Amino acid sequence: MTQAVLAEPAPLPLPDFGSEPWWLIIIKVLFVFVFLLVLTLLTIWGERRVVARMQQRLGPNRTGPFGVLQGLADGLKLAFKEDIIPAMADRPVYLLAPIVSTIPAFLAFSVIPFGPTVSIFGHRTALQLTDLPVGVLFILAMSSLGVYGIVLAGWASGSTYPLLGSLRSAAQMISYEVSMGLALVAVFLYAGSLSTSQIVDAQRSRWFIIAVPISFVIYGISCVGETNRAPFDLPEAESELVGGFHTEYSSLKFAMFFLAEYINMITVSAVATTLFLGGWRAPWPLSLFSWANAGWLPMLWFVAKLCIFLFIFIWLRGTMPRLRYDQFMHLGWKVLVPGALVWLLLVATARALSFRDFLLYAGVPAAVVLLAWAFWPTGGRQDRPPPPVERGTPPRYPVPQLDAEPLRRSAGKEVTRA
Amino acid sequence: MLRPYIPILFLGILGAALAVVSVLGGGFIGPKRYNRAKLDAYECGIEPTEQAVSAARFPVKFYLTAMLFIVFDIEIIFLYPWAVAFGRLGLFGLVEMVAFLATVFVAYAYVWRRGGLDWN
Amino acid sequence: MSTVTTATATATATVLAASPQTSVSEAVVFWIVAPVAIAAALAMVFSRHAVHAALLLVVDFFCLAVLYAAQDAPFLAAVQVIVYTGAIMILFLFVLMLVGVDSSDSLVETLRGQRVAAAALALGFVVLLIGAIGSATLQMPSQGLAAANAEGNVIGIARLLFTRYVFAFEATSALLITAALGAMVLAHKEQVVPRVSQREMSRRRFAGAHPTPYPSPGVFARHDAVDTPALLPDGTAAEPRPPVLEGSSNQAGRAGDPAGPGATGSGS
Repeated sequence: MTQAVLAEPAPLPLPDFGSEPWWLIIIKVLFVFVFLLVLTLLTIWGERRVVARMQQRLGPNRTGPFGVLQGLADGLKLAFKEDIIPAMADRPVYLLAPIVSTIPAFLAFSVIPFGPTVSIFGHRTALQLTDLPVGVLFILAMSSLGVYGIVLAGWASGSTYPLLGSLRSAAQMISYEVSMGLALVAVFLYAGSLSTSQIVDAQRSRWFIIAVPISFVIYGISCVGETNRAPFDLPEAESELVGGFHTEYSSLKFAMFFLAEYINMITVSAVATTLFLGGWRAPWPLSLFSWANAGWLPMLWFVAKLCIFLFIFIWLRGTMPRLRYDQFMHLGWKVLVPGALVWLLLVATARALSFRDFLLYAGVPAAVVLLAWAFWPTGGRQDRPPPPVERGTPPRYPVPQLDAEPLRRSAGKEVTRA
Repeated sequence: MLRPYIPILFLGILGAALAVVSVLGGGFIGPKRYNRAKLDAYECGIEPTEQAVSAARFPVKFYLTAMLFIVFDIEIIFLYPWAVAFGRLGLFGLVEMVAFLATVFVAYAYVWRRGGLDWN
Repeated sequence: MSTVTTATATATATVLAASPQTSVSEAVVFWIVAPVAIAAALAMVFSRHAVHAALLLVVDFFCLAVLYAAQDAPFLAAVQVIVYTGAIMILFLFVLMLVGVDSSDSLVETLRGQRVAAAALALGFVVLLIGAIGSATLQMPSQGLAAANAEGNVIGIARLLFTRYVFAFEATSALLITAALGAMVLAHKEQVVPRVSQREMSRRRFAGAHPTPYPSPGVFARHDAVDTPALLPDGTAAEPRPPVLEGSSNQAGRAGDPAGPGATGSGS
C-alpha cells in the first residue's frame, strides 16, 4: 500500500573505500590532514581580518602578503612560550586533555565527501577519504568524544574558573547536540541513508536546504552552540570566567585546543554543506551542465560552500553580543528542541501521506518568517517610558557625571509629562 | 569489512602524532623560568583556594541537564534508523514513532512545567 | 567488576560467534583491542581515583565500540560511542565532580550487605552469560551476517526494532520517563520565589543605596573606584568634579553645560 508509493530508488552502494592501493590511501589521508591544518591557519587569519574590517580596523597585515601567514606566526609564537603545568593540576589527565580534544576533531572529517569519482594516476577513486553506512553517526560520535577534551581540561587544571567553564561548556555542547541530532532526522527521512556520500547523491535534483529548510535553520543555530562560537561562546566568557576551560593551558597545549576549536568549526560547516547544500554539487544554474559536476571542479564548489559557512561564523562573531547563560539554555531546550520535534513530525506526516511539495511551499516561507522574527530589531521595549525614579532619600555617594546626566534629564521629562 | 576504517585509523594516527608531539614538545622548545606564582591556579591575582570548587557549591543543575541529555540522546538514536527505514516501514512506522515521541514528550513537558529547564 | 565481566563476555562471544569464519583483519583487531579492554577494565577497578576510573571506563566502552565495528555492526558501534561514552560517561563525570574528588578515598560502606548483594548479583550474571553463550554456540540457528545486513546494517536494525520488537521499543519510552522523573526528584531545586529578571535587578540596584560593584572577595579595597581621583599627566590628582547628587539642592553642574540645573529647573 503506502510502501509502494514511498519506495525510493535504492541508494547506490557505497564505493569500496579502503581497498584502494596503499599509496592512494596515504595521499588522501595526507591531503585531508594538510587541508584541515591549512584551512585552520587561513581561518584564523581570515577571522581576524574580517572582524577587523567590521570594526573598521586593518587587522594583521604584516606577516606575508596581506598578513596571510599570521596564523602560522601565532602558532610558532605559541611554540616558543613557556610550558606551564600548574601545581594543582592532575598531570596525566592534564596532558591527555588536549590530545583527546584534537584527535576526534581530525577524525570527524574523514567521512566528508570532497567530490565525485576522479582519476588519480590512472586510478578511479572517489574524492572522499572513506565512508561508512553510518557516516553521519560517526561524525556525531566524534563530536561527542570532543566534549571529553573540554571536561577533562577544566577538571584537571585544578582551578575554579576552568572547572566552571568546562562544566558550562559541556552542558552547552550536550544541550545543543540534542537539537542538532533532531534537526538531522528530517534529512535522513529524505535521503534514506546515514552515509554522507549517499546523502549527497540524494540531493541530485534538490538540495535539502530547500526540502527541509527549518531543519537547516535549527542545525545552523545549534552548530554554533556546539562549537562554542560567538554569540554562544559562554564557556570562554572572559568577563566571567577568564578564559574558560583552557585558562591554565599555555604554549602548544593551548594551541591544540585552538586547533581543535577551528577544526570543529570547519567540520560542522562541512557537515552543513554535505547534508543541506548538496555537498560538492554545483549550485543551480551551473548544475545544468554536466561538466560542473564531474572531475575535480566539484571540489571547488565544496570548498566555496565551506568558506561561506566559515564566513557566517565570523560574521556572527563580529555582529552578535554574547547571550546570557539562561537565555542560551532557554533557546536550546525550549525553542530549538520542541521546534525540531514538531517540524520532524510535520515532515514525517507529509512524507507518509506522500504530500511532499506541501512542505516545500509551506516550509520555505516558514523558515523566512522564522529568520526574520529572529533578527527583527526589537525596538518595542525602548518605547516604554522610563520607570519613575524613586525620589526618597538622596543617595550619599557620588555618581559619575556622565551617567547621571541622562537620568536627571529623563526625570525632568517625567515631571513635564505629568 | 574493516577496510573502510583503515583511512580513519591513518588519519587518527596522524592527528595523534601531531597532538602528542605538540603536547610533549611544548615543554622542550619553550623557555623554563621557574616561578611559584606561575604554577598557582589562576584566580585573578588573589590567593587560590585549596580545592577548586568545594562539593557543596557545585551547581546540581548540570546533573539534571546531563540526565535530560541522555533521555533525548536515546530518543534520537531511535529516530535515526526509523528515519532511514521510513519508506519501508510505512504508516505503521509513523504511528509507532508518534506514540513513542508522545510518551517522551510527557516527560519533557513535566520537566519544563516544574521549571527543570530554567536557569538562573 | 561488571565491566570486566562484560568485556570478557564480549571478547568470548566474539571468538565463539565468529569462530567459523573469522577474517584475519577481525582477528588482528580482536587480539589488539580485547586485551586493552580487559586491561582498562581491571585498571578501572583497581584505580584509587574516581575520575581516573571513569576515564578507564571510557576507554573500555570505546574498545567495545571498536569490537562492534569489527563485527560489522557499525550502527551499534556508533551508538555505543554516542550514548555510552558521549552521554552516560559525561553524566558520570558530572556526578564525580559533584561529589568532590576527595570523597573517593572514603572507605566507609554505607549500604548494608552490599558485598553479599554484589557477590550474588555477579554470580547470577555469570550464570546468565554462560547460558547465553552456551545456547549461542550449541543450538541457536544462526542467520549469518550477510542475511542480517542484506538491506544495510541500519535498515536491518530498523526492521527488527520497529516490527518484531516494537513493544520493547515503546516500553523504552516509559523507561525514559522514569529517568527524567528520577532526575527531577533528585536534582531539581524548586523555585519558590519568583525569578528576578536582569532588568528588575538593575533597577533595584540603582534604586538602592549602592549602585557600584562591591569590592571582590579577598581584595583589600581602600576606595571605591568612583571616589578615587583621576591622575593628571604630571601625577597630581585631578580636581574632583562636584558630584551630582540626585534630588539634592546642591546641583552644581559643569560650567557652560546647557543641561545644567537651570535646564532641569525650567523643565519642571
